[in-house]
Amino acid sequence: MKQSKWKEILTSNQMFIVYIIVVLCIAISMKTPAFAEVSTIITLARALLVTLCFAICEMVVIISGGIDVSFPAIACASLYIPICVFKENDIDNVVLAFVFAAAIGLVIGIINAVLISLLQIPPLIATLGVSSITQGMLLTFFGTRQISRLPSTIAALNKVYLFTYQSKAGNNYSMTALILVPIILYIVIYIVLKYTMLGRGIYAIGGDANAARIAGFNVVRLQFIVYMFSGVMAGIAGMIYCVLNKAANPLNLMGSEMMIIAAVVVGGTRMSGGHGTVLGTILGVVLIGLIQNNLIMLGVPTYWQTFVVGAVIVVGTAITSLKELAVQKNQKV
Amino acid sequence: MKKRILSAVLGIAMVATLLVGCGSGSSDDSSKKDTKTEDTAKDDSGEKTAADYKIAVVPKMTNLAWFERMEQGVDDYNEANGTSVEYCGSPEGDGQAAFVEGLISQGYDAICVVPFDVEALDPVLAKAKEAGIVVICHEASTVENMDYDVEAFDTLEYGAHLMEKINELSDGKGRVIQTVGALTSQSHVEEAQGGKEWAEKNAPDLKVDDQPIVSDDNQDTAYSKVKEALTADTKHEIVGIQCAAMSETPGAAQAVEELGLQGKVHIAGTSLMSVCGEYVEDGTVELMSFWDPALAGQAMIELAVATLNGTVGEDTLSLPVEGYENLTLEGKVYTGSAWIDVDKDNCNDEAYDF
Repeated sequence: MKQSKWKEILTSNQMFIVYIIVVLCIAISMKTPAFAEVSTIITLARALLVTLCFAICEMVVIISGGIDVSFPAIACASLYIPICVFKENDIDNVVLAFVFAAAIGLVIGIINAVLISLLQIPPLIATLGVSSITQGMLLTFFGTRQISRLPSTIAALNKVYLFTYQSKAGNNYSMTALILVPIILYIVIYIVLKYTMLGRGIYAIGGDANAARIAGFNVVRLQFIVYMFSGVMAGIAGMIYCVLNKAANPLNLMGSEMMIIAAVVVGGTRMSGGHGTVLGTILGVVLIGLIQNNLIMLGVPTYWQTFVVGAVIVVGTAITSLKELAVQKNQKV
Repeated sequence: MKKRILSAVLGIAMVATLLVGCGSGSSDDSSKKDTKTEDTAKDDSGEKTAADYKIAVVPKMTNLAWFERMEQGVDDYNEANGTSVEYCGSPEGDGQAAFVEGLISQGYDAICVVPFDVEALDPVLAKAKEAGIVVICHEASTVENMDYDVEAFDTLEYGAHLMEKINELSDGKGRVIQTVGALTSQSHVEEAQGGKEWAEKNAPDLKVDDQPIVSDDNQDTAYSKVKEALTADTKHEIVGIQCAAMSETPGAAQAVEELGLQGKVHIAGTSLMSVCGEYVEDGTVELMSFWDPALAGQAMIELAVATLNGTVGEDTLSLPVEGYENLTLEGKVYTGSAWIDVDKDNCNDEAYDF
């Protein structure tokens, strides 16, 4: 009994991702010994911070049976508009900046929810349209110019560190305090999805909206909660991105949605909805992040880097799919 | 039925927007004409100046900071010379060809244009040429139907210029990495190539990486990749970073600053004060270069006047615009050396504040 449980864990989808990650780490360390240091964790945490925030939103949306491609546009609007307004009026307040960003995200999230839940527009089309509208309005009314001089207390948040590590080579690596945001977020989402009626409801409507409705879940309400949450988090993540880069750019995040959806799917979330775990998403993000951020260390020539990233996505997802097929076959027998 | 009404309303709205756009444009230019002073032909030689011609400057699109700066240049030119050169264009790059087509019948002597889409614009420029209008381009050496194109500088030479600075700062010893926005971005790749070739010829101990780092023209990506390269470089061989794209220079600077490598790793790259100012001021970026769209706009106007006066066609040409005094001609392309160097000492100059 115990043995079979172990076997189940060791051959689970998530463990396969772990295996790939371990192999990659060993390969990179062999090529570049500097990789096997605490500095790697700090660098990776910094590089994946915003991706992690986006990925958990996307995961929740996909579990609920939808998809959201508007979060980069929401994030761009939520980081650019507050900074523009603050610069214009000489406001300099970190808390207000995040509240403002979250509010913009909330409003756009509600628009998404109305289109998807009330007007029954397919989520992909609805969020694609909202993304375009948001980006268009942003560029028309607020401009395209990057703002590099942030209000000073907001810029100062960039230099709030939990600790600093000095590598063997003498370089300094500092862990940004903002890493606490995704950590807390993931713990909360883990608890909500696993232990609350709200969380079970999100899985239920993703699995079969009709069945969920008959079972007594308020589908519209749940969809509103999902898209509002996604909007708010995208807004906050946008502001974090702005702080980390010490610059408000209205365009930079655009185009990042597909890689994040890929990370979520590699992590075992099914596009058809109803399935997905917090741990899987973390692993998916780490795998893709590891690849994207260590190709130079791995010595992959520039021309091949995009290819390698694509290959990892395909292999990562194929494992999940193959396992799925195997399960289906077993059921038939 | 409802749909039909809706589409009619939308159609009317679109046409109305177009008309409003044109209307404001033309009212604008009539007001400009009022202020036009007729007796401004400064030179006694009797040669005609921009005041004697009707010239338009058309940017790729009007709503980019880069071209707002070009508009400033045209305004400054008008103020300094008492001319009324018109700066006008469509807010979207896609509308440029139609916009230029609209200019042809308005009696312009010359149209100076920064093409957005060469293939779409070229046939329109052919019509302009047929109508006897002088066509001057910028950033578009491949346009067929033009009189001349003026480029701020030769990209290879510009790359060499950045590398020369890194060589000087690092005493000519060590490894240099280069960044480009994309491997398909011709000017970026040429810039990197120019730097590398210069180093091979002039600095035997300066080793430039064979392949540049690709940043996707994104500050965050540039930051991550440069940081990665610096982390992998445990022996501290890297002494310089040459950045081609505007967003890469601050990205690289942030990586160098965070790792505490200022003064050990020297950065020379393309950027603007509004994007990278902070890092130039604190010395992390030791050389920031760019070309000024304002001056490029003025150079186009001057080249248009020279063409109309028939004083061009020689292998070299001198225009009264900073950096465009010694132009060399190859094919139809005049090339200057109009890069502007900014570092810690001169970065507070208001002229660079854009």
